[in-house]
Amino acid sequence: MKETLKLGVILLIITVVSAGVLAVSNDLTKDRIDEIKIAKSLAALEEIFGQGYEFETLSEKEQEEISDDATIVEIVEAYKDDTIAGYAIKTKTSGYGGDLVVLTGISQIEGQILGMKLLEHKETKGIGTKATQPEYEEEFQGIDVDEEATEAITGATVTSTGVLEGVNIARELYKEKLVD
Amino acid sequence: MNFFKIFKNGIVKDNPIFVQLIGMCSVLAVSATVVNSFAMGLSVLAVLVASNFVVSMLRNLIPSKIRIPAFIVVIATFVTIIEMFMQAYAPAIFDALGIFLPLIVVNCAILARAEAFAYKNPVLPSIIDGLGTGIGFTLGITALGAVRELLGSGSLVGINLFPESFQPIGLFVLPPGAFIALGILIALFNVGMKKKEKQELFKADMK
Amino acid sequence: MQGNTTNPNTKGSLDDKMLIVSSSPHLRSDESTRKIMLDVVIAMIPAMIGAIYFFGINAIKLIVLAVLSSVVFEYIIQKIFKRDPTIDDFSAVVTGMLIAFNIPANAPWWIPIIASMFAIVIVKQFFGGIGQNFMNPALAARAFLSASWPVIMSNYPLPGPDAITGATPLSIMKYGGGELPTMMDMFLGNIGGSLGETSALLLIIGGLYLIIRKVIDWKTPIIFIGTTAIMLMILGVGTSELPYHIFGGGLILGAFYMITDYSSTPITPWGKVVVAIGAGMLTAIIRIKGAFPEGVSYAILLMNVSGPLIEKFTGPKIFGRSK
Repeated sequence: MKETLKLGVILLIITVVSAGVLAVSNDLTKDRIDEIKIAKSLAALEEIFGQGYEFETLSEKEQEEISDDATIVEIVEAYKDDTIAGYAIKTKTSGYGGDLVVLTGISQIEGQILGMKLLEHKETKGIGTKATQPEYEEEFQGIDVDEEATEAITGATVTSTGVLEGVNIARELYKEKLVD
Repeated sequence: MNFFKIFKNGIVKDNPIFVQLIGMCSVLAVSATVVNSFAMGLSVLAVLVASNFVVSMLRNLIPSKIRIPAFIVVIATFVTIIEMFMQAYAPAIFDALGIFLPLIVVNCAILARAEAFAYKNPVLPSIIDGLGTGIGFTLGITALGAVRELLGSGSLVGINLFPESFQPIGLFVLPPGAFIALGILIALFNVGMKKKEKQELFKADMK
Repeated sequence: MQGNTTNPNTKGSLDDKMLIVSSSPHLRSDESTRKIMLDVVIAMIPAMIGAIYFFGINAIKLIVLAVLSSVVFEYIIQKIFKRDPTIDDFSAVVTGMLIAFNIPANAPWWIPIIASMFAIVIVKQFFGGIGQNFMNPALAARAFLSASWPVIMSNYPLPGPDAITGATPLSIMKYGGGELPTMMDMFLGNIGGSLGETSALLLIIGGLYLIIRKVIDWKTPIIFIGTTAIMLMILGVGTSELPYHIFGGGLILGAFYMITDYSSTPITPWGKVVVAIGAGMLTAIIRIKGAFPEGVSYAILLMNVSGPLIEKFTGPKIFGRSK
């Protein structure tokens, strides 16, 4: 018993010291890490909406109140001059080589899709990666919110099906839950 | 204690990748490009030196019965520190290494050196052992990275070496290619080592 | 000398080998291997002529390059490894022809060369040479090509001198993109596909020759094709589409020429049956439920890899041995 206690105490000391060191490191790096995360999402949002918008990501609770669909990763509100101008919805669907994370931007004012961006993917170079080309992304601009998106890529059926699934889920979510 | 011998062993005779064949998951998963391989190598080197140092310093204070959990806590602490600083100051490489950065904690090479050397030897030799093994690891993984990037993407360090029309052998940036390339490198390394051994024996006979 | 089962290069008498019931790696003298390989070459000639007829000069170019580079690479690597050269056993020629049969007619000249290097040097010679390969070298090369150059390996030309690409029957059934060809076209080979897989008729003629010459066992191809058909029906393929599945893709080529490779499949009779059934089921599953329109090559490779395990469980019961 005494030995077990001694072993336990030594482990405790080691882990406490370790925790202390880690806490210090965390403090030193936390702000910078948050900055980088925000800058990343911002870049994609600005590409779709353009300049002059403010973006607010809904908290997990707020998001769950709207929808508990597991393919919806994130819902972001886009504000211009303090009024809601649109939404950006991030979805996760299946592609050819892995998951596809698609960001769909929708304009409240015009009731149209503003743009699509494939954020994360594991698709085959030269075939599925065509979905990251500007030419394909542009095909999504201007699609009416009531119309189903059907833009496919010949020769990359599985990839484009996954992208379309993400875009249409975002579109449906907007239509059902977010439109004023 | 021959410091130079300890150092050299980590690079040649007991090279973790080509001879001991430990720490292979990181080696295979991350070595598709030279830059990523080198980054992983340096991370492992840093953790190796730091963990060997601490384990050796505490070797008389850590009872044998709990040495493994103790090693893991020490190693995990250093890996987490590296993770945090990398995420803050080198985010591109952090993303590239992905899940394999935290997996350094269970990289057998680091645990093996802690157990086999640092726990039983004084601080300075342990640091040198960490340095030697870490450099051996870095050299090995970077060599593999160079082969895979050259054959699989036609570039080195991100710079395209071939004209546009060249179509590189895509397999080498995929996992099967990693296994095949690594296998060939291990074979070549060991053939080279055997030849050198024979030469040394020959020279020794001649004396 | 008892050690001859481990040294693949000693020549022995044919009678001794026929009496040995053991698993791969087998030992064959150059003469018996060559006889078998020549029979395989002869069996492939009809399909080869068909390839040249349908795909023209590209076919000749690719077949010649594949065969030549296979033979040359085998010679070189055996020299480097200081082994006796075995190129006169024609096994490299067979591998070269099979590689050519698996590539599209519009493939660039370096494709057959690199494929041959992969098949002969890495899959075959690195593992010990003839009789020791654990995977079908030509099929492994096809998988290697598909992984490395997916764009080249998925654009198949339609028959004709201009190498215009079009959808293969299997991809039409999976993704759409055209009308299915007539059954006569499917049977004769007037369809899109790789060099050697299009003509069911010519491949079957060669297959019958192999069966008559006792080079392959008739059960393997029949069970393979039969299981594929049954599994496809279970997965919902209608009877009107079924013939397209049988005659299209690499099923006939795989059933008679690939899955029958001696060293990569079990020697035990039930083992062969298990492999044929397994490959049939996998082919159907990959084609219908998987992401690819064609599943034969991966199905066979997966069964190759399970070979030793299957052999272990289907071996003959040994009596008189204490536990």
